[in-house]
Amino acid sequence: MSKKNRDTKISNGTTVFSYTFLIMFTIITVFPIIWMTYSSFKLMGDIMINPLSLPSHPTLANYLKCFKYGNMGFAFFNSVIYSGISTLFIVILSLQAGFALTKFGYKSAKVFGALFTLGLLITVNSVITPLFIMETNTGLYNTYLGVILPYIAFGLPMAVLIATSYIHGIPNALVEAAVIDGATYNQIFWRIILIVSSPVMATISVLSFLGNWNEFLMVFTLTSGQNMRSLPVSINSFAGRLNQDYGLQFAALVIGTIPMFIFYLVAHNALIEGFGEGALKE
Amino acid sequence: MIENKSKRLSYFGLLLPAFLIYIAIIIFPIFVSFGLSFTEWKHFQLKGFIGIENYINIIHDPIFQTSVVNNFKIMLVSVFGQIPLGVILAYLLFRKWVKKDQFFQMMIFLPITISSIVVALLWNRVFSPVGIYTAFIRSVTDNPDYVVKIFENPHHAIVPILFVLLWQFTSLYMIIFIANLQRIPSSVFEAATLDGASEATIIWRIVLPELSGVIYTCSVLAISGSLKSFDLVFAMTGGGPVHYTYVMALYLYQQTFTFNNYGYGSAVSIIIVILSVGFITIGQKIYKNFQNKYE
Repeated sequence: MSKKNRDTKISNGTTVFSYTFLIMFTIITVFPIIWMTYSSFKLMGDIMINPLSLPSHPTLANYLKCFKYGNMGFAFFNSVIYSGISTLFIVILSLQAGFALTKFGYKSAKVFGALFTLGLLITVNSVITPLFIMETNTGLYNTYLGVILPYIAFGLPMAVLIATSYIHGIPNALVEAAVIDGATYNQIFWRIILIVSSPVMATISVLSFLGNWNEFLMVFTLTSGQNMRSLPVSINSFAGRLNQDYGLQFAALVIGTIPMFIFYLVAHNALIEGFGEGALKE
Repeated sequence: MIENKSKRLSYFGLLLPAFLIYIAIIIFPIFVSFGLSFTEWKHFQLKGFIGIENYINIIHDPIFQTSVVNNFKIMLVSVFGQIPLGVILAYLLFRKWVKKDQFFQMMIFLPITISSIVVALLWNRVFSPVGIYTAFIRSVTDNPDYVVKIFENPHHAIVPILFVLLWQFTSLYMIIFIANLQRIPSSVFEAATLDGASEATIIWRIVLPELSGVIYTCSVLAISGSLKSFDLVFAMTGGGPVHYTYVMALYLYQQTFTFNNYGYGSAVSIIIVILSVGFITIGQKIYKNFQNKYE
């Protein structure tokens, strides 16, 4: 009886407040995205006259222009290469480092671990000038490798942190038993650690992939050729702030958004867990 | 003995690939940057060592001063806007006072997946004469000719950017706080309710103390994040009109890549690092004081 009373006491004021707050926040969050999406099927004239209305004659013309003149197909391909390859390496390298830092019992592991943690505080801005000079002098400028290497480097500190704390929790007995059975450390890594770490592998992959997919400054400054640009950089140069064809611009924005929305639908649990773990980027 | 040697080899074999890439691309350039910050460049050529002249010129440049003020405003909005809003959203969803809390969580988290470039260009349109914000204000104020003029004000041009930052990143903190709220044993809440504790007491005595550690961590991230903001401002206003919306990272970008003044740009990046470490140290002091008071 008294429990029921308490429940109703909570529900009146608090429930109304909760719903109002959450619904308003959700509308402010989602409505601009919905507006962007349906406006991308309208021509410039239609947008000027009826900015809010749904498309009266839906058209794909904006999208065709984006792929024809905006190099969007190529940019999409580059984004996949940049984010995909760097993510693969971040996952493998961080798990290897995490294994070395936790299961070997060497004193130097603490120093290496601390050095990696230091990297969390260093931002792309603070190294972009020397990185640019280094890349122009080594011929890495405007190459795939010249983007992928920094992507790996900047993904590592957080990934090593996540991998280390996870592998730390794997029982030492598992490794010791394998050593007694005559397995090399390399075999232990590929056959045991990698398999046992699959949950944290998912976390590191989604965080790295998302972060690098949306990265802008490094591709923008370390590449110059049209055919080296990633999706965000192409969108900015093709449909940026000074572009006056709003329909075209909306289509470019939707092209930039859709891949990650699909990614989010598929991987949202891993993504939410990953960010929730305190794994943070930008 | 052989066993030990091969163990050591495996150790370095596993560790070094990650470590070398990290050192070569992040740690080494920091030192290069520090060295470069005392040099002058002209026409892509190193002209010579000029001591702290770059630093003096930067501090006296009104555009840099505007940038610092803007970065400071971004920092305030991040720490005192995004984080408190994130706590409120997380708490409402965590207590399950609404049905479909999973739906709300998923929708509110959506902006995290969108690139800052897309976010910037989208909100430019929202605030434009054909945008939904303009349409909304027109219908509310009954003024069909309303247009957003705030961008023209030297002191408030940054405000729309601050709003967009709230839109973009609040949910990140929400997710972190939800994850940490879920770690509080549910028996704590049940006991408090049985003892007749009011919701305010529960929030003040249980929730906030439990979250204080993660709120601190998030503040550190918000501070270092706000000092590096670039993408959003670059795509949304490019620092304009005039230089009202300049931020330090944009200033650095312009010096390095538009004027090719690598020494000057490096000095700006060193200043950003120093400010970032400084603010985080101050934050740590405040947090320690706060802890001492409550323990």
